[in-house]
Amino acid sequence: MSSANLPEYDPVEISDDDVMAAMKSMQGYIDITPADFREVYRTTYALARERMMKAMKAGDIMTTPAYVVHTDTDLIATATLLAEKGISGAPVTGPDGAVIGVISERDFLRKMGADQEGSFMQVIAHCLKSKGCVAAPMVNRTAGDVMTAPAVTATADMPIGRISSLMAEKNINRVPIVDLAGRPLGIVTRSNLVNAFCMLG
Amino acid sequence: MVYFGKMKGHTQSPPRVGAAEILWSWIGSFLGIATVGLIHFHLLDQTSLTMIIGSFGASAVLIYGAVRSPLAQPRNLMGGHILSAVIGVAAFQFVGDIPWLAAALAVSVAIALMHLTKTLHPPGGATALIAVIGGDSVHQLGYLYVFVPAGLGALVMLIIALLVNNLAPNRRYPEFWI
Repeated sequence: MSSANLPEYDPVEISDDDVMAAMKSMQGYIDITPADFREVYRTTYALARERMMKAMKAGDIMTTPAYVVHTDTDLIATATLLAEKGISGAPVTGPDGAVIGVISERDFLRKMGADQEGSFMQVIAHCLKSKGCVAAPMVNRTAGDVMTAPAVTATADMPIGRISSLMAEKNINRVPIVDLAGRPLGIVTRSNLVNAFCMLG
Repeated sequence: MVYFGKMKGHTQSPPRVGAAEILWSWIGSFLGIATVGLIHFHLLDQTSLTMIIGSFGASAVLIYGAVRSPLAQPRNLMGGHILSAVIGVAAFQFVGDIPWLAAALAVSVAIALMHLTKTLHPPGGATALIAVIGGDSVHQLGYLYVFVPAGLGALVMLIIALLVNNLAPNRRYPEFWI
């Protein structure tokens, strides 16, 4: 791989003074200028990061097992599950057990008067205007009715770098990890990614 | 404007080394050149052979003064002198009638070859040049120049570098062999 193709990452910024101090602490004449060292450092950092992003797979960082709901799980049970587990979304499985959608806070908010992007404050505004519980119309509805489908899923061997760009691209917060039959194995959320990236340093 | 801007420089010189480093550089280079000099003046004095050439002074800077430098490693020291000596002798033998051309070819081809073989050793340039401008005593050696003084002198300097540099608590030599 040519280092020229690497995206620019910002490693911890080091100064000429840092490099000079390090060189002084090493014995002997270091046959390199501080600027050359920094160039080597930047390129090396980008390469190492790239390698680790490729080496670490969805399967390594996913939360397992994922809490899932079924398409015919009613929304009360769905909301209760999310509340109890302290999660903001879950994969939705179809009749054959394959993941066919994802249901999240955002889907609920959308049903409650928020627009496509779904924010809690929009629901508050809607609530204040309509003088009533905006969740009422959702009684008797099921997860299948409000979920976002089709689901954006990934297999366990997808590098976390790709999961990350997938989330950014689709503007989603979680990606169910599925086996070849589409059955859920776990889930990678933004927090899983944050933890993994913190580990990468 | 970029062209002239590049001439301003953009970074700073590496730090000065400590006193111990200076002392070990002195000891190593003194012993290295002393050994080569003793062989030259006492063992080879009666023969037409020569052992000491100017480029060894330059090698001493690297292998006793900048021991961590890639340029100072055994591969570079030996390869640089030997390959450059071959190029230098060849340059003299083929175009020695045109001294300026032979000199320029000797140095430039030696540098290219050292790059190509990952044996870049700056004193090699001097070894190649001396093969052309070193006078009759050097010219008479022909390709023997590659072995004595170039190869053998570099080998003696290398042995001293191995013995002396590794005595210093904060030095190790070499970084790599080949």
